[in-house]
Amino acid sequence: MELAADAAPLTAPLAALGDRVAPLALAGERTIPVDETFGDLFAEGGLVRGRTIACEGSAATSTALALVAPAVRSGAWLALIDLPTVGLDAASELGVPLERVVAIGTRPPGAVDDPGRWLDVVAAAADGFDVLLVRAPIGLSAGGVRKLSVRLRQRDVVTIVLGDPGSMACDGTLQTDAEEWSGLGDGHGHLRRRQVVVRASGRRLPGRRHCRFTVPVTSTAPSVPAVAAISA
Amino acid sequence: MDAPQRIVSIWYPDWPVTAAGFAADVPAAVMSANRVIARTDAAASDGVVVGQRRRRAQRRCPQIVLLDHDPDRDAREFEPVVRCVAELSPRLDVIEPGWISLRARGPSRYVGGDEALADRLVQLTSELSTSMDPPGVGIADGRFASSIAARLAARRGRPVLVPAGGSPTFCADLPIGWLQTLGECDPDLVELFGRLGLRRLGDLAALDAVDVLGRFGHPGVHAHRLASGMDTRPSSTTDPAPERRLDHVLDDPAAHSSAVVFIAKQLADELAGSLAADGRVCTRLVVVLESEHGERSERSWYRSAGMSAAAMVERVRWQLDAWVNLPRGSDQELTGGVVLVRLTPDEVRADDGSQLGLWGGQSEADRRAARTIARLTTLTSPDAVTVPVWRGGRLPADRYDWVPAAMVDLDRRTVTRTGSGPVGPWPGALPTPSPATVFADPLPAEVLDERGELVQVTGRGVVSAAPVSLRLLTGDDATGWRRGRPRPIIAWAGPWPVEERWWEPDRHRRLARFQMLTDDREGLLVVLERQRWWISARYD
Repeated sequence: MELAADAAPLTAPLAALGDRVAPLALAGERTIPVDETFGDLFAEGGLVRGRTIACEGSAATSTALALVAPAVRSGAWLALIDLPTVGLDAASELGVPLERVVAIGTRPPGAVDDPGRWLDVVAAAADGFDVLLVRAPIGLSAGGVRKLSVRLRQRDVVTIVLGDPGSMACDGTLQTDAEEWSGLGDGHGHLRRRQVVVRASGRRLPGRRHCRFTVPVTSTAPSVPAVAAISA
Repeated sequence: MDAPQRIVSIWYPDWPVTAAGFAADVPAAVMSANRVIARTDAAASDGVVVGQRRRRAQRRCPQIVLLDHDPDRDAREFEPVVRCVAELSPRLDVIEPGWISLRARGPSRYVGGDEALADRLVQLTSELSTSMDPPGVGIADGRFASSIAARLAARRGRPVLVPAGGSPTFCADLPIGWLQTLGECDPDLVELFGRLGLRRLGDLAALDAVDVLGRFGHPGVHAHRLASGMDTRPSSTTDPAPERRLDHVLDDPAAHSSAVVFIAKQLADELAGSLAADGRVCTRLVVVLESEHGERSERSWYRSAGMSAAAMVERVRWQLDAWVNLPRGSDQELTGGVVLVRLTPDEVRADDGSQLGLWGGQSEADRRAARTIARLTTLTSPDAVTVPVWRGGRLPADRYDWVPAAMVDLDRRTVTRTGSGPVGPWPGALPTPSPATVFADPLPAEVLDERGELVQVTGRGVVSAAPVSLRLLTGDDATGWRRGRPRPIIAWAGPWPVEERWWEPDRHRRLARFQMLTDDREGLLVVLERQRWWISARYD
């Protein structure tokens, strides 16, 4: 028929038009960049804004710092909530500029966890910082967590929960393992190089994705990301 | 309009690199925001110029040593110079580290004329240290002309004296770019002057002040006034009323500088707020600190652009830092806690506002973060919201300090250190990679040898036996210790002994460091101190 013959050349422009008027922003467009080593972990190619990810295992801190480093380098602020133990030397070696790092403690020294206060602080921090690195306290109420998740999603904040996420709702989990250390011998040498395997799983991280990265010791300018690209 | 005062300016070229302790014959440069802000003569002769990018500087001069900018270090190292000049004339203004101005009239009469005064200042400052080049000394009417004279003097190697009343002629032949060099005008305005054919300060001065006001507004009038050698603000800037003076007397002497700075922050906020309510801004601030033993530190700080509350606090911090670090036995050395903090606005002027840049400078994210920090501070406590500050040390826990964010000027800050590890000023620090988890309070542990006995290290740094297993301890001395499961050690290295501050009995530390790898692939930094084992950091 004549009509069918005419319809074929129209498909391409129509598809383009459809893309232009599409009302939703795709998740892939709302990502903050990660180092290309980690690109394979996420279907969207980066950390999607508004999502909460748990990072566990024996290399959790290094992995989380390496993940957020490119974002902080490009001007985002990083808040460390209840994480006074993060090693700042390691952070700067992994490429996090410390000028935009703020630490917030939610419990006074010597006191126990206060989940209510923790929720308030994280919610307030979500207003001003782009990336949150948090430790989840024990005993979070389900209602509080739900409200907080909505807030974090609305504010387009990337939250990484270090260690056991407890009842904190997470979109995915990164399980890290320091697979191999080199440089340390039996009474000699020193820790030089570490290979870390990161495995992604969870609701929003489908498939069995994993990647490897190494923490090298080159003493050259630590402002460049200290992760080498070996992806599997 | 009354004639400008006669002012002496003392200027050290490239002070940040001098403060970092580099001699002129070592190629070195200080970087801020990836650009050179100061360099040594050796680097300059290789073509490294101020404002250059890091890469280009390295290409011009491959063996150059690049350092990060540290305003605190600049201020600390400048203190001896300030004290030395204060011997001659106590009323001096520190504009920034490396740049002092003082009124010429009194001291000039005292030593017998401007020339004698300039020679005396050069002599005084060169006696201070043989490694430092003497500064440039310039004397002229008005701060602007005298600052230019000091810079020319540093270039020429001899003091530059502009005769009384000679500032307009002195300025007339100078290029218009000086307005930007001295930070009096923003680069855009200076560039515009250049495009309009006003290439010398004299060209600008030749215009009618009323026309300049009509075309360029207040910044233009300010530039015009400076270019004409009439370096006075309009006389509407009456002296601030004495009740503007703010002080705080502490009942408990403050032993920590953070406590003093926190009080200064409150005072500065109040002062800047009350001045702003009148539409005025403080250009010269006198900071007085007094200790419980009656020692006093008084400094006058000048900033032609006016000081915000954060800038005031920063100056208090510089002054306090310099006071604390005075050498033993010097005059007015700080021996007790601080009991009095006083901020006096010595000179104020109408605040004609400033136009914020569209690009660069503070970003929206920075402003949002600053607002949130203020909100979080009220939500928790001032001590709970902290930002890192470099302190330096051999142990991971010593290297950075967390200071309350409310006390720090958050924009234009550099924290990250290049050259960590064994290089740099901390020989004996651990090699990279650094541990990602550092325990402020180390975890007690036990390290055992093959026979199940505690591993010891002798005074000469020899291990009694190879460590074989490690176990954590929980509990405390009062209730007794519970031992955790022993974990086999598969690799280890050490001991790396450290002996710190043996000259101070209270803070003396003597310890041996080990790196250990347990069978579950966990890397640990383990420390033996006073016969007890601690896990001080984890490589995770």
